[in-house]
Amino acid sequence: MKHHRDQHAASIEDIQHGFEEAGYICSQQIATTLFLAYHLDKPILVEGPAGVGKTDLAKTAATYLRIPLIRLQCYEGLDESKALYEWKYGKQLLYTQILKDKLNEFLKGAESLDASISRLHQYDDIFFSLHFLEPRPLLSALQREGGTVLLVDEVDKSDQEFEALLLEILSDFQVSVPEIGTIRAISKPFVLLTSNNTREMSEALKRRCLHLFIPFPEPKLEREIIRVRVPDLSENLRGQLVSFIQQVRKLDLKKPPSVSETIDWARVLVLLHASSLNQDLVRDTLNTFLKFEEDIEIVQEHLYDIAGKALREA
Amino acid sequence: MEQVLQNLIIALRASGVRISVSESMDAMYAARLVGYENRQTLKDSLSATLAKSHREKEIFEASFNRFFSLDGFSNPETDSYLAPAREPSEEDAPLTQMLLSGDNTALSMSMREAAQRADISGIRFFTQKNLYIQRTLQGMGLEGLDRDIRRLSKEDGASSRQKGSALKEARDLLFENVRNFVEQQFSLFAGSATREIIEKYLRNIRLSNLEQQDYHQMRAIIQRMVKRLNDLHSRRRKTSKRGWLDLKKTLRENVAYQGILFDPRWKAKKIDRPDIVALCDVSRSVEAVARFMLLFLYSLNEAVARIRSFIFCSNLVEVSHVFEEYEVEEALVRLQRGFGLGIKFGGTDYGQVFRDFKKNWLDLLSNKTTVLILGDARNNYGNPQTDILGLIRERSRRLIWLNPEPPAFWGTGDSEMRRYLPSCYLVKECSTVNHLERVVDLLLRTQA
Repeated sequence: MKHHRDQHAASIEDIQHGFEEAGYICSQQIATTLFLAYHLDKPILVEGPAGVGKTDLAKTAATYLRIPLIRLQCYEGLDESKALYEWKYGKQLLYTQILKDKLNEFLKGAESLDASISRLHQYDDIFFSLHFLEPRPLLSALQREGGTVLLVDEVDKSDQEFEALLLEILSDFQVSVPEIGTIRAISKPFVLLTSNNTREMSEALKRRCLHLFIPFPEPKLEREIIRVRVPDLSENLRGQLVSFIQQVRKLDLKKPPSVSETIDWARVLVLLHASSLNQDLVRDTLNTFLKFEEDIEIVQEHLYDIAGKALREA
Repeated sequence: MEQVLQNLIIALRASGVRISVSESMDAMYAARLVGYENRQTLKDSLSATLAKSHREKEIFEASFNRFFSLDGFSNPETDSYLAPAREPSEEDAPLTQMLLSGDNTALSMSMREAAQRADISGIRFFTQKNLYIQRTLQGMGLEGLDRDIRRLSKEDGASSRQKGSALKEARDLLFENVRNFVEQQFSLFAGSATREIIEKYLRNIRLSNLEQQDYHQMRAIIQRMVKRLNDLHSRRRKTSKRGWLDLKKTLRENVAYQGILFDPRWKAKKIDRPDIVALCDVSRSVEAVARFMLLFLYSLNEAVARIRSFIFCSNLVEVSHVFEEYEVEEALVRLQRGFGLGIKFGGTDYGQVFRDFKKNWLDLLSNKTTVLILGDARNNYGNPQTDILGLIRERSRRLIWLNPEPPAFWGTGDSEMRRYLPSCYLVKECSTVNHLERVVDLLLRTQA
């Protein structure tokens, strides 16, 4: 399993470069955690506010490692038949129908019921074999040759039961199907779990994972992110924009603007051919990164100060 | 190096980070993988394997920095005192030789080893510090050093005397260094034990003895308490909404259907939201606990939607707006000083206070209102106006009096508590958080 991997992720710097090429700027902390996860075969539990690039991290990891991404979006009520596997009931039924004649033929000559049953036993779980198993994301991640990146998105939205189900996969990379037995990973997937912290994850889950907290980025990092994601934005405006957003995050807002919203705003500014931030421009485009009326009002109150400071700093 | 990692893990556990065996093994593998050369990388790696929530990350950050900043003997003064001119001689003890040659690295190593032998990671209480300092010093061979100093002071000759006095100063520095080291170790390993004790202490301490800086923690306890009560409260409401069969009403309604119970009627228990009028004494006689009572009132204001708050000394003023407008620290100072509130700080006059209340705010009371009075009932021998208190009692649902004094003092001297007692629904001594917790529960509990 290792042989195909070692060409990637040789060092932490390697990862940083590779990710940057794929359009994702990661901090030292992120790169180190990825490096560890990769070499220790550990899942990563990624936490942090919404929109700091948790999901993107997984997508980029897949691009970087050149393996497919399998994504499982969690929600309340997600269960194993949707996440892990399901029996192909239709196929099972169809096959029994088709094979009816065959069965008759095969059972011909068996005198008693006992005899027929024992004959059937020779082929026992034929209808409960891998052929009739519909793999769902978790199982297909285990079965894929060459490895995958498995993204379990917003795991905090799922129920406790589902979390328990994940434990087996996360620690041993295997699944137990009662009718078949244990299915082991052909090659171990690279697992990322993301959480918005709507509830505390269980100790058992945390114990099996490396933990990565992605905060809102520092100004320098955020400028770098904008540079890579919105290359058309002038350097001057980029500085002003980041400074503005960083200040807005310090206000007492319902939902502070995330990195993805900063990027959106940067794109909007490019579309509007803006050359520098001025108050009218900001006021008209506030709604690209603020999603609550109250927040917009709060920012408008401080608009003069913030915009002024942003212009000075850049 | 793995011993160091183990010690870090012990320190983290002591600060309240839960680390399992498998996690410490992960940390070990991670450290082996990334190596110890790059401090930032090591920190990031250990953080990923050991600290599993935002809070734990913060603790980890602090512990890691403290742990790996333990520089040993880099005291600049040491060098000046210990000039290499004073050559160590053969007969000197090992510690003396190290001090004389100014070998800071060796000293640091020796100190760490001695501390390790003294089982420094077992330190839990600040009272143990001296013990560990002594043990560490002895482990480093203090006896030999003392012997040398004694010997040198008896010898004649300028060089011996000079060497002796230099050694004495070096000894003081050594003490200093070891004390610092033990101090650092204490803050590393005893983090949580101390905090737990402080918290327990805060919950049971008499309020009047509270120090200024503890208020912050106190407030957190109250907020936690209020939150818990809120939870209890909302849960009660939820279950009651399902409703029970109202037999009487059902029979009545279904007469039209020839007595067949066709249209069942339900009765739901309606929860009374607490409606509170609070009067708080801020006079000099309760000065020590006034701040606390106000803090309590502040938390109550955050938790209960319908509340009117008043403070009094010689007269009564409404202060509900203060709680809404200001942060807690500022609000408390404003209330205690009475900035712009029109409160008169003469002698406490409960009679006047009750008259004020009757005149201006009596219509606040309804049969749903709980009146809460926080005060010691020390009236400076004035007219207690028990009749008005009786009126307040009649007009409200219940009257609760929280007195910071223990019951034994009620009615002594100018305390009118005994005379107010018959008008009250509930009178409690209230000088610890545990008392408060019980009272708040009583307040929010609804009567079925």
